[in-house]
Amino acid sequence: MSEIEPNVIFSIENLNRDYICALDKLDMNKWLACFNKQEGTYKLISNENESNGFPIAFMLDDKYERLQDRVTQVTVIQEDSTEHYQTRHMTQLTSIVDLGNNRYQANYNFSVFYTQNLIEQTAILCVGRYEDIVLIENTASFIQRKAVIDTNVLPRYMAYPV
Amino acid sequence: MSKTPDNSAILEWPAKYNEIPKEVFERVDLWPIELEKIFYGDEWHPIVHQSEIPNIGDYKASELGEMPLFAVRGEDNQIRIFQNTCTHRGTTLVTESLGNKTEFECPYHRWLFSPQGELVGCPNSREFTPGFDKKDFSLPTFRTEEFCGLYFITMSETVAPLKEYLGEDFYEPLSRILGGDGRLKFAGYQKVHYDCNWKAYCDNDGYHAPLLHLAFKMLNWQGGQGVQNVSENGHLSFESELKIPDDITALKDASILDFKGTETSTGSIVQMQFPLTVYSKHMDMLNIRYAFPKGPKGIEVHYAYFTHEDDDDEMIEHRIRQASNLLGPCGLISMEDASIFSRIDKGNKTPGMAIFQKGVKDEYKLELKVGQNDESGNLPRWEHYRKLMGFKRAES
Repeated sequence: MSEIEPNVIFSIENLNRDYICALDKLDMNKWLACFNKQEGTYKLISNENESNGFPIAFMLDDKYERLQDRVTQVTVIQEDSTEHYQTRHMTQLTSIVDLGNNRYQANYNFSVFYTQNLIEQTAILCVGRYEDIVLIENTASFIQRKAVIDTNVLPRYMAYPV
Repeated sequence: MSKTPDNSAILEWPAKYNEIPKEVFERVDLWPIELEKIFYGDEWHPIVHQSEIPNIGDYKASELGEMPLFAVRGEDNQIRIFQNTCTHRGTTLVTESLGNKTEFECPYHRWLFSPQGELVGCPNSREFTPGFDKKDFSLPTFRTEEFCGLYFITMSETVAPLKEYLGEDFYEPLSRILGGDGRLKFAGYQKVHYDCNWKAYCDNDGYHAPLLHLAFKMLNWQGGQGVQNVSENGHLSFESELKIPDDITALKDASILDFKGTETSTGSIVQMQFPLTVYSKHMDMLNIRYAFPKGPKGIEVHYAYFTHEDDDDEMIEHRIRQASNLLGPCGLISMEDASIFSRIDKGNKTPGMAIFQKGVKDEYKLELKVGQNDESGNLPRWEHYRKLMGFKRAES
């Protein structure tokens, strides 16, 4: 990462921090605000599918309107039937590559813990890696956040993105 | 396998057909009997669709009850299903969920098997027992049948052939879920563990859909005409017309709900094959839900999705984005089912009966004719289960 300017690293880390704090507070509007309004996409896919070239994902928001609908799904459509859980995201930046045109490919490792029904025992929800494309203009935003999870078998249904 | 025991003393079944003892979901002593009478008994179980292992040497690991097994496409292009165990000392031969091998070698003593299951090599065999013959040590297989590319196995030598076992009311809609001709392409899995007994997982009904799934109401998604067919051996098949309104205001991107299919289907088919496999086709999503009980508590479900060989790129993309957002353990129209599985499991730790109401006309009579949105369609399955388990029904 030596060729990457410190302010770029700072911007990317800030964006990631906003993202994980939004999810840990279950603030879906702040989650949405992390994505670029023209090109932002989100995908949650198992490593088994990703490495075998199978396209099926757990969540596939391939345009901004889908991201907006993800917010509606979590906060309105399924709010009353979900057994809610508290998440805690731990992330570790592993690489940044300059793609040109103010775009950077950033990779993170992550683990997400969850506390069932907000008050019960804590366990691991999933571990994996983010493969991001970040645009840095005035502020940083995700063109792509792809979460590839080693946890091929989810320990429970998943109500929110990770 | 022992002879059918009289399990009357283990659990007495209520006289009313619409009452299910809640303890049936909780009692750990029932699991070994369920294994013997159901999973290793007179039932067929789907293991793999041919499109999941399209190339020679492709294999997929799976389970039947607690027994590990794997399906492999042989050098002769035939699919065979073997017990996942070396015929020497029993080591598993396959440890990954999917893969490709030209031969299957046990690492312990290097016994080597072909994809056709024959033992082709075993070091130091001159020092083996007199009369040792490699031909006697092929991998153990199962009685196997194929339908539209889907391979089923059974441990039973007496159960009826597959199509007779399923019945036409079941296998005809199933053929449409499997693309009509079985010429499918595999698109991927969503795998999840649900914290409930396997019987709670497969007890979903025709009554709940418009009530539990708020998305249906918010999307102004009207339930159309339809049927529910049930069989005496516990299979259920729902088919209903899907009326998706032109103007969906709740979503910014309503294209996720498009029905582009040209099939003759009315839009929605959901089938539950005893004991616990679900097949579905909602709009353009072709889905098999392989399910694996993890003992008396917990079940792992592998949602497998498919496209059709004749699909153009646009249709493939549509099926992928629909399946990746609407179904499975995160899906817009299905996540609530998963929530119910774990809540019903917690609630069933209370005493008494789970009671079915909708569609029950006579509590003391089993009815095979049921309406589209009745929950009474589950009762023939419970009666089939009771009989297999040898539980005596109380006098009315």
